[in-house]
Amino acid sequence: MVAPAGVNPHSEISVFRKFVLGRKGQKSPLLDIMMVVVLGGAMLWATLRGAASMGYNWQWYRVPKYFWRYVDGELVWGEFVHGVLVTLEIAAWAVLISVAVGLLTALFKMSNSMAGRVLAMVYLEGIRNTPLLVQIYLMYFVISPIIGIDRLWTGIIALALYEGSFAAEIIRSGIESVERGQWEAAASIGLTQRDTYRYVVLPQAIPIMLPPLTGLFVNLIKHSSIVSVIAIFDLTTEGRNIIADTFLSFEIWFTIAAIYLSMTITLSSVVNYMEYRLRKRSW
Amino acid sequence: MSYAEIFQPQRQDGKMQVHWLDFVVIGAVAAGVWYFYNQVNTVLHYNWDWNTIPIYIFRWDADEGQWVSNLIVQGFFITIRLAIWSILCASVLGVTFGLFRVSPSLFLRLLGRAYVEFVRNMPPLVFIFIFYFFLSDQIMPLIGAEDFVHHAGPTSIWIVERLFGPANLFANFLSGVMVLALFEGAYVTEIVRAGIQSVGRGQWEAGSSLGLSRFKLLRYIIIPQAIQKIVPPLCNQFIQTIKDSSIVSLISIQELTFLSVEVAVSTTRVFEVWITAAVIYFFICWGLARVFSRLESKMAESRGR
Repeated sequence: MVAPAGVNPHSEISVFRKFVLGRKGQKSPLLDIMMVVVLGGAMLWATLRGAASMGYNWQWYRVPKYFWRYVDGELVWGEFVHGVLVTLEIAAWAVLISVAVGLLTALFKMSNSMAGRVLAMVYLEGIRNTPLLVQIYLMYFVISPIIGIDRLWTGIIALALYEGSFAAEIIRSGIESVERGQWEAAASIGLTQRDTYRYVVLPQAIPIMLPPLTGLFVNLIKHSSIVSVIAIFDLTTEGRNIIADTFLSFEIWFTIAAIYLSMTITLSSVVNYMEYRLRKRSW
Repeated sequence: MSYAEIFQPQRQDGKMQVHWLDFVVIGAVAAGVWYFYNQVNTVLHYNWDWNTIPIYIFRWDADEGQWVSNLIVQGFFITIRLAIWSILCASVLGVTFGLFRVSPSLFLRLLGRAYVEFVRNMPPLVFIFIFYFFLSDQIMPLIGAEDFVHHAGPTSIWIVERLFGPANLFANFLSGVMVLALFEGAYVTEIVRAGIQSVGRGQWEAGSSLGLSRFKLLRYIIIPQAIQKIVPPLCNQFIQTIKDSSIVSLISIQELTFLSVEVAVSTTRVFEVWITAAVIYFFICWGLARVFSRLESKMAESRGR
């Protein structure tokens, strides 16, 4: 077989056939999967051994109490749980604002107004050509004292403005992906521009936009870790504080990474499923 | 015909058309500017002092009797060096793993996939901290970067300084490059994979029916065509690397953002320093984007002929 890798996503076959026997005409994938697992295990082992040989004292037993612990028989949520909630809160607010900002930018960019197009362009170029970290610092040290907002909202707004540039692109391409014939048909039956959007364009554009907008939420969860530089108590900050208290750097960083990975990979697979459904429907 | 041509008709006489939205936007921007101006001057009473900034760009060295670059310019050059070395290393990683991603071997495909998914689903900050602990604790002593600089002669120091910036920060710089390269490598992997997969199936089939081995097939047929699809996004990835390089300031790599923090702290001219840093980043990235898009259109032109 010389063609690039890639399997037909539509064939519905059993898990057993997929992972153990192999598809028709292919050899069993079991050996390869086992090799990956063994390699991953070996890397993990080498990491643990390497750290231990440097005199690092692994104390995994101290980690669980940062998830939850029982104080006098009562359940108390730990720092990680609080951190995850703050991270999700930041991401949720930021995704709402960034979609609003993105929608406004996309409409400005597609409008007949010269000033609107220039404003959208200045915003997009400004955001795209500066690092997120510098935007956060600029927001925290310059903008937030001027308009007088607290730390949490500084982080949320900085993240929302950053992701808003991606949202604008998603929304614009979603609207433009609606075929020209649809616009012309709407115009020829005498719909106003608003009705064209309401009844013709948006019902077709929104399903196309939904998977990338969910991807935006995944990105926000990832990028929200950067607000720890301005001491918002999200997952990363909580973890760094625990490390400062206990010096369990490897254990805590691995735990944080695992928590982030489980959040983002779960959501990414939701995105994949949405895209799969979309492809299936349009074919 | 695009959306713009249907819904943004240009007037034939070339005159500007004024839309109601123009007034709303201009009014809102003017109100915003007035609000900021008012807040800064009457509420915060901020004393603007732009005179401190130029000293941190170039300063007069009395001992040597000449102008020498100061922190901000040094940071600028370290950022550029960091980005160039990182994208070079990331390209090596990316091509390797990109070929893994399209390999007939499931093992290699899974390996490539695991790398890409791991990096892309991890917050950059967490990734950088984890690998920094490894690099500084284990890998750096292993390759002996510190020892190398300590025992190097003047010639090798000269070479190191030209290539990697100040010699006393060599180990520091190297760990920054490694972390960034590992991070950007995942994105380059996806660029390479997409480039290779963009070559039509017929090309693969034609090649294999000629009896070419997989290596020759890639070498003579696939890669030359894929390269045209790979180079433009790789250029964008370079700009992305410059932006992402600001994050390594958090592990004390002394690039533009790190030195901006230092200047802001030592001068207390916070507004001026951060505005300057943002403007510098903006002009690097924006300028490069313009250059690359021009090169790209030149390339497309020469191909079209």
